Amino acid sequence: MKAAPFAYVRPTRLQDAVTELGSAQHGGGKVIAGGQSLVPVLAMRLGRPSTLVDITRVEELTHMTVDDQCLRVAAAVRQRRVQREASQLVPLLGLALPWVGHREIRSRGTVCGSLAHADPSAEMPAVAMSLNATVEVTGPNGRRQVSAADFFTGAMATVTEPTEIVTSVSFPIASSDEGYGFAEIARRHGDYAIAGVAARVRSTSGAVVEAPITSFGVSDKPQLRDMSGALQRAVDSLGDPAAPTSEITNALEEPAHAMAEDVVTTAGDSHGSTAYRKRLVRVLAARELARAYRSSLKGA
Amino acid sequence: MRVAADEAVTVSFTVNGRPATVQVAPRVTLSDALRDHLGLTGTHIGCEHGVCGMCTVIVDGDAARACLLLACQLEGSEIITVEGLGKPDDLHPLQASFSDHHALQCGFCTPGMLMSSYDLLKHKPGISAEDLPDQMSGVLCRCTGYRHIMDAVADVSESYPGGIPGPRNCGHAALLPRTSTGGGSAGDGGHEIAAAEGPKEIHVPQSEPTVTIDVASEVAASVDELWVVIDDTERMARCLPGAELVDDFGDDKYLGRIQVALGPVKLSFVGDIHVTERDPDSHSLRALAEANDPSGGTVQGVVQLEIDPSGEGSIINAHAEMHMTGRIAQFGRSLADDVSNDMFNQFTAALDATARGEEPEVGGAPPSAVKMATRLVLARARALVQRIKRKE
Repeated sequence: MKAAPFAYVRPTRLQDAVTELGSAQHGGGKVIAGGQSLVPVLAMRLGRPSTLVDITRVEELTHMTVDDQCLRVAAAVRQRRVQREASQLVPLLGLALPWVGHREIRSRGTVCGSLAHADPSAEMPAVAMSLNATVEVTGPNGRRQVSAADFFTGAMATVTEPTEIVTSVSFPIASSDEGYGFAEIARRHGDYAIAGVAARVRSTSGAVVEAPITSFGVSDKPQLRDMSGALQRAVDSLGDPAAPTSEITNALEEPAHAMAEDVVTTAGDSHGSTAYRKRLVRVLAARELARAYRSSLKGA
Repeated sequence: MRVAADEAVTVSFTVNGRPATVQVAPRVTLSDALRDHLGLTGTHIGCEHGVCGMCTVIVDGDAARACLLLACQLEGSEIITVEGLGKPDDLHPLQASFSDHHALQCGFCTPGMLMSSYDLLKHKPGISAEDLPDQMSGVLCRCTGYRHIMDAVADVSESYPGGIPGPRNCGHAALLPRTSTGGGSAGDGGHEIAAAEGPKEIHVPQSEPTVTIDVASEVAASVDELWVVIDDTERMARCLPGAELVDDFGDDKYLGRIQVALGPVKLSFVGDIHVTERDPDSHSLRALAEANDPSGGTVQGVVQLEIDPSGEGSIINAHAEMHMTGRIAQFGRSLADDVSNDMFNQFTAALDATARGEEPEVGGAPPSAVKMATRLVLARARALVQRIKRKE
C-alpha cells in the first residue's frame, strides 16, 4: 500500500495553483487538500497522478466566511472545523458531518474535497443538493458558480474540468421556518453509507413550502426529489399539522415507497441488494421528512 | 515549493514537543516518516488506506490517520504520537486505565485506541459510555472484542469530567533522527566525519532527562593531579572509554566522537561539547554535549564534574543529566542507566590512572562488548543483592 511516485507542488496563490494544475505533465495533475479520499486512491494505485498540487497553503482557500445569506466554506477548510463552528448556522451540515467518515478523517478532510471527489455514497454532496448550495470552481478562464444540482454528473464525476479547482461552496444560512432530517445506514458508524437521506422542509403556518430530499448511496450520484406535494397531502390526511412525527411518518409510507422505487438504481453489492436499499430509503425518507417537517414548525 | 517525484523534500515539524526534521519523497506518508525516519514505531500500520485506525496520531490538536497524510504536507505541524502520551513510570490516565481494565490483548490496536480516545475525551469530556461505540468506531480491534476497551475509556471519561490531562511525555520522547535513507553509512562505527563547519548551538531539553547519573568515586590521585588532567580537555577525553577529540573550535568548544559497543549493538556518536564553566578554585567543570549516531539516535546532556579532597586522595563527583533518543533509548531506561554509570566509573578510574602518571587502559578504543556486558551483569547482580539485602 505505497503510492506510486508523484511530484509535489505547494503554491501560495490561487492563480499559481491553477497554473500548476494546467501545466502538470500529460494532464496528470491532481489537487490535494485534506487528501482523505485521494490518499487511499493513491495508496491502492487506483490513481497515479504525475503531480499533486497542494492547495492548503493558499491563504484565501483557508477561510470560512458568513454573510447575510450564506456560509462560504473555502477549499482548504476541514470538516471538523465546519462541524465545530458552523453547525448552528447550517443545521443540516451539523446533522450530517458526524456521519462523514470517522472523527480522525474529519480532522483532515475538507467539505469541498468531499464534493470534488463526488463519491455516490458520500454525505456532503447530498447535503449540498438538499440545501441548494452553490459550488465555486476556478480555472484558467476564471471563476464560475455551479448549483449543486448541476454539479454532480455521475459516480466520482463532476462538471469540474481537469484544469479547474473547486475553490469554495456556499450554503444558505438556515431560516427559522426550516427543519431538517438526516439519517444513513452503514456497516459501522463512519463507513460509507449503504443508503442515506438528507431532508429539508420549509413550512409557513403548517403549510409545506419546500421539501427537497436527497438520497445517497443508491445511484451513480445523489438523487434530489421534491416531496412537498406528498408531504402536504400526508399532513392534510391527518388533519392536524401538529401530529406526532410517527403519524406523519406512517402517512408518508406510500409516497416514500414510490420515491425509493424511483431513486434506487444501483445494482446492489455485498453490503446490500437493490431491494434492501429501496427499503432503507423508504423507511429513512418517510421518517426524516416527518422529522424535518416537525422541526420546521418549531421555528415559525 | 516544488519537489520532483524522485526528489526528497525537507520537512520540519514538532513531534512530541521536540523539533524533528525528515527528508522524504513526496509520496511518503506520515506513518512511514514516523516509523522509518524517526524510529517512532509506537505508531502501528495496519491497512495503509485509512480503514483500520492503527496509525492514529494527533496532528495540530486533532486525531488523524497517519497513513492518510503525506509527510510533505505537514511542514510546521505539531504531532503527538503514542510515545508522547506517557512514560513507563508515569502513564497517562488512559494508559493506566487500559492496563487496569485489561483493554488489550495483542496490543496491535492499542496505540490507535489510545490516541483516538485521547482526542475524543479531550474534545468531548465526560462523554457517556453508551456514546462510545459510535464515537470510537474509527479504530478496529481484532482480539478483545471492544468491551474492555470501551470500559477503560468510559472509566477515564467519568474520572475526568472536566477534561483529561495532556500528554505526559512531550519534551523528551524517544525520537530517532535517523538519516532519511533509513540507515546511514555507519558500518562498524568507523564512519567518516564530515568536515566540521564550526561549533553548533547545543540545546538541552528542559524536560525530565532519560537518565540521571550520580557517581562519586574515591580515587588515589590528589585534587591537583586530577585537575591538571581535567583542565587538558584532550587528555581528559582520552579517559572516557571509546572517546576521542576530533576538532577544537576554540573558546572551549570541541567536536568529539564516542563509540559504544554493547553486544551486537555498535553506536558511534559524533557531536559537540561545550565547556561552559571551569573553576580551578572549586575544581569543578560543567559541559554541555549533543551528539548523533548516524544510524539513529541522539544524546544531549549536561555534565558536572567536581573534585574534592578525601584523605590521601580525592573524590570525583560526577552528575550528568542525559536526554537520550534512538536505539540506546530503546534499550530501556534501566539498561541505558547501567551503561552510562558503567562508562562513568571507567572514566573516573582512567582519570585517576592518568593523573598518577599511568597510561589509561581505555583510551581511544571502544569499550569491549564482552567487557561491558560482563560489567553490566556484575553491576546488575550487585544491585539485585543490595535490593534483597535492603528488604531483609
